[in-house]
Amino acid sequence: MEERTRAYLRGRFRDYYRRTEITPPPEADEREWGFIPWTDGPGTTMVRHRSLLELGDIEDFLERKRPRHVYFSVGRYDDPGAGSMGEKGWRSSDLVFDLDADHLPGVTLGEDSYAEMLAICKDALYRLLDFLEDDFGFSELEIVFSGGRGYHVHVRDDAVLDLERDHRREIVDYVRGIGLEYDHLVDRETVSGLGRKTPTERRTLRIDGGWGRRVHGYFMAFIEELLNLPEDDALERLTAFEGIGEGKAKATLNAARNNREELEAGNVTVHTAVSQLAERFLEEAVERDNAPIDEPVTTDTNRLIRLPGSLHGGSGLAVCRLDRAELEAFDPLADAVPDPFVGHEIAVDVEEGGEVELGGKIRTVEEGPQSLPEYVGIFLMARGRAEKEKE
Amino acid sequence: MQRLHARYPFLEAARETVASETVELATVVERDPAVVERAVERVVASLEDGDTGEPSRDTRTELLSYPVARVLVSAVEENVLVRKYARAEAEEAHDRFRTEFEETVELKSAASSGLTRETLLSEFDLAGDVRAVEGGYRIGVGAYLPLAAGCWGDEWRLVNRALSDGEVPVDETELHALLREAVRARVEEGLPFAVPEEIVDSLEAEVARVREILADLELTREIDTVVPDLFPPCMTALLDDIRKGEHLPHHSRFAITAFLASIGMDTDEIVELYRVNSSFGEEMTRYQTDHIRGETSPTEYSAPSCATMQSYGDCVNMDDLCERISHPMAYYERRLDDADDEEIEDWREAELEEA
Repeated sequence: MEERTRAYLRGRFRDYYRRTEITPPPEADEREWGFIPWTDGPGTTMVRHRSLLELGDIEDFLERKRPRHVYFSVGRYDDPGAGSMGEKGWRSSDLVFDLDADHLPGVTLGEDSYAEMLAICKDALYRLLDFLEDDFGFSELEIVFSGGRGYHVHVRDDAVLDLERDHRREIVDYVRGIGLEYDHLVDRETVSGLGRKTPTERRTLRIDGGWGRRVHGYFMAFIEELLNLPEDDALERLTAFEGIGEGKAKATLNAARNNREELEAGNVTVHTAVSQLAERFLEEAVERDNAPIDEPVTTDTNRLIRLPGSLHGGSGLAVCRLDRAELEAFDPLADAVPDPFVGHEIAVDVEEGGEVELGGKIRTVEEGPQSLPEYVGIFLMARGRAEKEKE
Repeated sequence: MQRLHARYPFLEAARETVASETVELATVVERDPAVVERAVERVVASLEDGDTGEPSRDTRTELLSYPVARVLVSAVEENVLVRKYARAEAEEAHDRFRTEFEETVELKSAASSGLTRETLLSEFDLAGDVRAVEGGYRIGVGAYLPLAAGCWGDEWRLVNRALSDGEVPVDETELHALLREAVRARVEEGLPFAVPEEIVDSLEAEVARVREILADLELTREIDTVVPDLFPPCMTALLDDIRKGEHLPHHSRFAITAFLASIGMDTDEIVELYRVNSSFGEEMTRYQTDHIRGETSPTEYSAPSCATMQSYGDCVNMDDLCERISHPMAYYERRLDDADDEEIEDWREAELEEA
């Protein structure tokens, strides 16, 4: 990045911060702050272990320093400005989740467009929110568009603040479906009688919550489908599963027809073939419902995370705090474009052209000096694809 | 009150009783041999039997022996002792409160102290996190996670629980196990602390005794030879089951894995040893093994004793040597000692040659 480009971006970042109100996170003065300044050369050095006491009022600081990136810690400390974690004195940490298009299954890097990646990411975000809102029942959620390739969720419910790394690992495994075992989703109860000499075991898939409910959902959807098929087709669907022959297929279909209510209630004892079949939907449930979060972010109680309201120095987009209700309509590539960068053009020299999707439209940018809407120019310069040209 | 405190000396109220009724702990250590003796028994039993020994009939002695035992554990200053001691105190408390909760009002035993589940929940600040529902309880996930972290078995993993609305359903047995973990954390809290010089001096002989026992146990844990032919019959049977692809209950899987870890096998080696059968579940084995070896959990688990193996029905094919030992590790140690060095071929080296 050339000096002129850097100076331009710094200047415009200042203008943005002058006109923008920043709401700091709760207990901002107990957190560690860090930032990456605009420096030349490819290396980036993070300035960290700063307390708000040292930085001063956050808005003043941003206006004065106009950093390229700015972060605060999920952790709260006795002495957030201390130079090492040991000295800081950990008190508690927000629980954070990071969904990053770079790590998402279903995203093909270099092939999917920026908008496509972000759309896949948003789907994953909804799956994550399902877990956080329904299973975990969290209410202090803050959803944030990262300004780059994904979304963050900050959880600040009292119940999670004191959790240590290992406990957070359990939460990660839960939303990822790691370590899930069918046997443990099933309750066993010994029932005597039923016309047999030996007591039998009643096995019930737990449908009152957790992954059991999800597995059951997919299982029942399949049963539903079976019942709507002609007999031959239904049997064919069943025998398509490895290990299910004609006998088991017939037994399963009969069970589906005659014991529908039992199946609805999670009872998988109706026939051994049924239990085996239900188990096969575990994998499907995990594949379809798991939230592919970036694991180390969530387990790290000292993580630094991007400040909502600040600018992402690698895109020139704003890090946006999102209301749950506005999430549906939120279009990151239009809504995260900072207002001050809209409505006028600037001269840039594009080194790496191509398609740019911003501000609600896709434009193909040629290489070479030209005039572009400012937010497009800033995006390209921040990504290292263009330099500032003299006006 | 005294009885309650003597039975559950980790209670906050018990601590207050001790604080208000005793002179200096140093004086007790110096002048009350019965208390010191009982304190030593608490600690020694925690190492040897995993419990806290026979309670003293005198409530005062029993009550005071707890803080003195904590002093002793602190003076020895070994993490393994802190862990084993806290575990034993918690197991003992667990046995006691479980029995007590089950007693009906009419059938209170003489030992009963009137402790209720509600009191215990409040003691650990869990009253607001646990509520009774039909068929069991529901506990808030934030309270569940730290307590379940100390519990053995994949059924405790959050991913395998029917979590909904921020609560984990647990049955009564499970709730009691979680309370046991709360006791363990309470006992472990602050251990080891700095013990004043003069107390260390008066406990010199006791500290030496505990160190000696620890050293003996330590020796057992340093076996680093893997000769499946010399395994005790119980472990051989379990290993065979795994290799046959049988689905083992958790206590059995735990027993064999903890045994293998204790004789010096690392996670990769255990996975390799199990691998004969392809359906043994590598990922799960790794997770369990890391957990047992203390790499992903706060505790390093040791293999269960013969008594535990028996109570789970895992003690099979007893032979003459079994009659003379009380721990599968001891069996293996003897067999190794008796075997000619020439004959001992470590399984891991054999594997290497094959590869």
